[in-house]
Amino acid sequence: MLTKTQGSAAPSSVAGFIMKAGLNFSLAWQCYRQEYHLPHQRLLRWTQAILLIFMLALSQSSESVQHYLTNNLQGLLGADALISQHQPLAATQLASLAKQVDDVAQTQQISINFSHDNSWQYISLKGVDDNYPLQGELLTANALDGVTYANSTGPKVGEIWFDSRLLSRFSLKLGDAVSIASQSFTVTKLLAHEPDRLMEGHNVNMRAMINIADMKQLNFSENLIQYRYLLALDEDNITTLQSWQKQQIPAAEFMHKKGNHPLALFWKRTENFLGLTSILLFFMAAVAIEQLSIKHKSKEQYFAAVCMSLGASYQTGIVVSIIKWCYSLLLLLPIAFILAAATHWLIISHLAESFVNLTWQWHLGLSFSTLGFVSLLFALFYLPVWYSLANSTIASLFTTATSETKQLGQKVAALMVLIIVVFAYSDNGLLTTMMLIAMGVTIALILALSWLTLTLGEKLTQNLSGLLPFVFFMMKQRLVSKSTQILGVGLSAFLLLFTLMLMHDLGKAMSVYQRTHDGNLMVSQATTDQMNYLHQWALDNDISIRQNKAYMHAKLIEVNQQSLKEFAGKPSDSLARFSRDIRMHWANELPSNNRIVSGQWWQNASENWQQVSIEEEVMTDIGLALGDEVSFMVAGKRYNFIVAASHAFKSGNGSITFWIQMPSTAIAHIQATHYHMASIEVSDQQQSLLGNLWQKYPTLRMVSLKEMTARFDSTLAMITTVITGFSVVIILLAIIVILASINAAEAKERKKNSIIMSFGFSKRTCFQLNIIEWLITALIAATGSIVGTYLAGLLIYQSQFSLTYQPDFIWLLGTLFIILASVTSLGIFANKHSLNSSVKQLMTD
Amino acid sequence: MSTVTQPNSIQPNAIQLSSIQLKNISQSFTLNEAKVTLFEQLNLTIKQGQSYAITGPSGAGKSSLLMLMSGLEKPTSGEGCYLTGSQVASLESLRTYIGFIFQQFHLLPELSALNNVALPLKLRGDKTAVSKAIAMLTKVGLSDRMHHSPSELSGGEQQRVAIARALVFQPRFIFADEPTGNLDEKSAGDIANTLFSCCKENNAGLVMVTHSEGLAQRADHIYRLNQGRLLKDSNHNRESKILEAAYVN
Repeated sequence: MLTKTQGSAAPSSVAGFIMKAGLNFSLAWQCYRQEYHLPHQRLLRWTQAILLIFMLALSQSSESVQHYLTNNLQGLLGADALISQHQPLAATQLASLAKQVDDVAQTQQISINFSHDNSWQYISLKGVDDNYPLQGELLTANALDGVTYANSTGPKVGEIWFDSRLLSRFSLKLGDAVSIASQSFTVTKLLAHEPDRLMEGHNVNMRAMINIADMKQLNFSENLIQYRYLLALDEDNITTLQSWQKQQIPAAEFMHKKGNHPLALFWKRTENFLGLTSILLFFMAAVAIEQLSIKHKSKEQYFAAVCMSLGASYQTGIVVSIIKWCYSLLLLLPIAFILAAATHWLIISHLAESFVNLTWQWHLGLSFSTLGFVSLLFALFYLPVWYSLANSTIASLFTTATSETKQLGQKVAALMVLIIVVFAYSDNGLLTTMMLIAMGVTIALILALSWLTLTLGEKLTQNLSGLLPFVFFMMKQRLVSKSTQILGVGLSAFLLLFTLMLMHDLGKAMSVYQRTHDGNLMVSQATTDQMNYLHQWALDNDISIRQNKAYMHAKLIEVNQQSLKEFAGKPSDSLARFSRDIRMHWANELPSNNRIVSGQWWQNASENWQQVSIEEEVMTDIGLALGDEVSFMVAGKRYNFIVAASHAFKSGNGSITFWIQMPSTAIAHIQATHYHMASIEVSDQQQSLLGNLWQKYPTLRMVSLKEMTARFDSTLAMITTVITGFSVVIILLAIIVILASINAAEAKERKKNSIIMSFGFSKRTCFQLNIIEWLITALIAATGSIVGTYLAGLLIYQSQFSLTYQPDFIWLLGTLFIILASVTSLGIFANKHSLNSSVKQLMTD
Repeated sequence: MSTVTQPNSIQPNAIQLSSIQLKNISQSFTLNEAKVTLFEQLNLTIKQGQSYAITGPSGAGKSSLLMLMSGLEKPTSGEGCYLTGSQVASLESLRTYIGFIFQQFHLLPELSALNNVALPLKLRGDKTAVSKAIAMLTKVGLSDRMHHSPSELSGGEQQRVAIARALVFQPRFIFADEPTGNLDEKSAGDIANTLFSCCKENNAGLVMVTHSEGLAQRADHIYRLNQGRLLKDSNHNRESKILEAAYVN
């Protein structure tokens, strides 16, 4: 009997479950279809679609670039492995290396100012030995538009090969004679392709190649040369070789085919910066969803109440709500995937200018994992709604009033989403913190401004007649809901303004600033001899040297006995820069363009020379703390220092500043070549004097403002494209935030208008009240956002770009007016439904 | 109290009393290509200071008649006018002199009782809005509840606030749509007392649409709207006096 019951019960419960599930699915589908055109559902859909498209396109583009970089590394390293450093290997080291590998080719590269016929150009000069090329093809041509052919060796002694840009720049032809540092060379070939070109990364300098023997004759300072050893070896030996390198030459850079592409870190950072922007987008989405959830939650609760009143369990309401959400997400996918694929194609087309042969490719697995991640975030946004259904009694479900504590759940969920996005995408801790501080301050500011304006407005207009006192009175009475609306609009305006301001100010501030403080010529590297000559040359020609600071090259290798990479953990701007030598400055007193952030600057002529001050952002990025021990390789020797202080840039006294600074007494203990950085103002008439200067010292590194501007312009063009695209997304989300805030308050507004009309007023009065209310809303939001933007400018410009933020008040006021006009117009336009109210509706309610 | 319940008692007033006149009014609309006539050729005069009840079955067009009288809707045919002494004006010009009371109260939930009542005065730029609202709330018996929000008040109290709000700007006419429809018997009786006494005190004309016979009997005039025709209840005065005595005692 028992067996029989069990046997029959099982299939019936399974069938019952299937039937119940089927009913839930069909009920959810029916509800989904009915709610499809409701304004709050439409706005929720748009918000989700924008975020989904953005995240899919971003992840797909990133993966394509990463994939490209990995493949590219294998074909463009020109060797199985490579060692690179700023000094030659000692004979013993070279012998030891040769024993471990099958073959070695040596190259030496230096950046010089090449001058010819009173023209000059900053170029990369590379010397190669007879084993070069080790792997891959060294391609040359005999004419600018000629056919390329492979060479088994590089230039012979006395020969020089120019790339096509350099040949055209000086109008040279094959067979012409040129001289570098008084040594003559004959241009014999046109350099078309170097197999190890990949090592140059983003270096766009014009290029020339000579024999390594000539490089020795030119007698450049060793420190200025990049020594590279291309190695052919068995893959299995790479690990052993790497250990040898870490022990014997820790300051050297080691790369191999199975390792990371030199551009990979750069791209990772670009990607993470875009990740930071996604935090902003999710923040706006959170504001929009929070506004919409008021209506959304009450509708879901009402439906659940109806289900429960018909005998269904409370789970039914939740299950139907979840299935409805799944439907909305699933039906969003086709359009989101198509638009993301199109956006991805546009991004790849744009990037193909930097990454040659980069092609569009859809990574299916990644698209699903991104979808999973974004869906999880969306589900988190919805969690408070589902939670409210699970925790309600029938009685509470029938009351649709939403208390502030219930809305708190939505705020907590939004905060969780933001924390997850921050952890997943941001690598620049300081920038993220500053951005979040600016946003936090803006929120506090807008809330305070709302309260202050509405309270004062109500008090001050109490004895006035007209509509204004009434609007202030009503807005003050609805302070909580009004503040949320103002906050939404204000935050959107802040984010939009900030991105637009970046675009507008970055170029302007940078050029103005450099012109004021740095002269028009920056000496980035001069030896002591060169600097002495430069002083005399400046004196003779009545040229002003505005700044002059000495430094030496150093490479940070360890922190607290841990390798830098292990210690830092996450990639960052600073870590990427530390993979190469950095400039280390010494000073007894704190430089006038620096300020102490933490710790203590050393006493004048301190005996304790093994202490350093490190720039604030570097400390944050690497995760350094005061008291940490940092180990530097300087001229092949290791030196340990204790982090005694942290400094930051202070504007107004020139822009030459250093990340790492040590006491002047340290130079007596460290044997290394000293270099100088300087800034000079050279008039247009004096420009011709530079030719002679570079003829005498080709390795003197100088960059003219014009050249800097040109470099900056190309960077700015790229930033502009990115920011414009991003602004469009922000504008879309800002519109959604405004529409959502209007949608959330529409029923209330409609009722208010009807009631006002029942007092004997016309629709025109309601319209006028509406305009005044939106003007006040826009005014508070715009003021808050502009002050927030100003603050963000002060915080971020200074620390991230070392620039003084000089806000353009006319531009800001113009923007204020545009925000006022746009928000008011959009608000009035979107609010027009609430004006279609009448006293009759109140009667029929 | 007896003064308040005196039928047809018009307070002596230096200001000329107004009236609303509807002449040969018809109202119809088209539904699914069929013409639906609510009422035809109605004639009615509403005088300031008097109370009127309109009763009739659901769908008879009572609320539509209320809308026409208040100038919120235009009739399909016929004409309505607003008379003050010898001055004749359109019903639309009546809009600033009327107040409404609804079955669902329709108070603004985020405002306190006091601020709800002060609302129409503030909108008119009245600098003494709050003190007048306090006086009005005291008159309707809510002096101790004026700082409560609507959700903290009972249905009867909310309707008192709505009455105070409708009367505070001293309109010449009050239009009430089922003012006690959402209230229990006891509250409905209290609200009726308040409504009638306040309208009398303010010398406002009161027009009510109601299903409640008890409430209708309290009015000076009763009209029944049925099948497009408006009929005056001629037996009303005698019955109303009996009912009033019952309320007073």
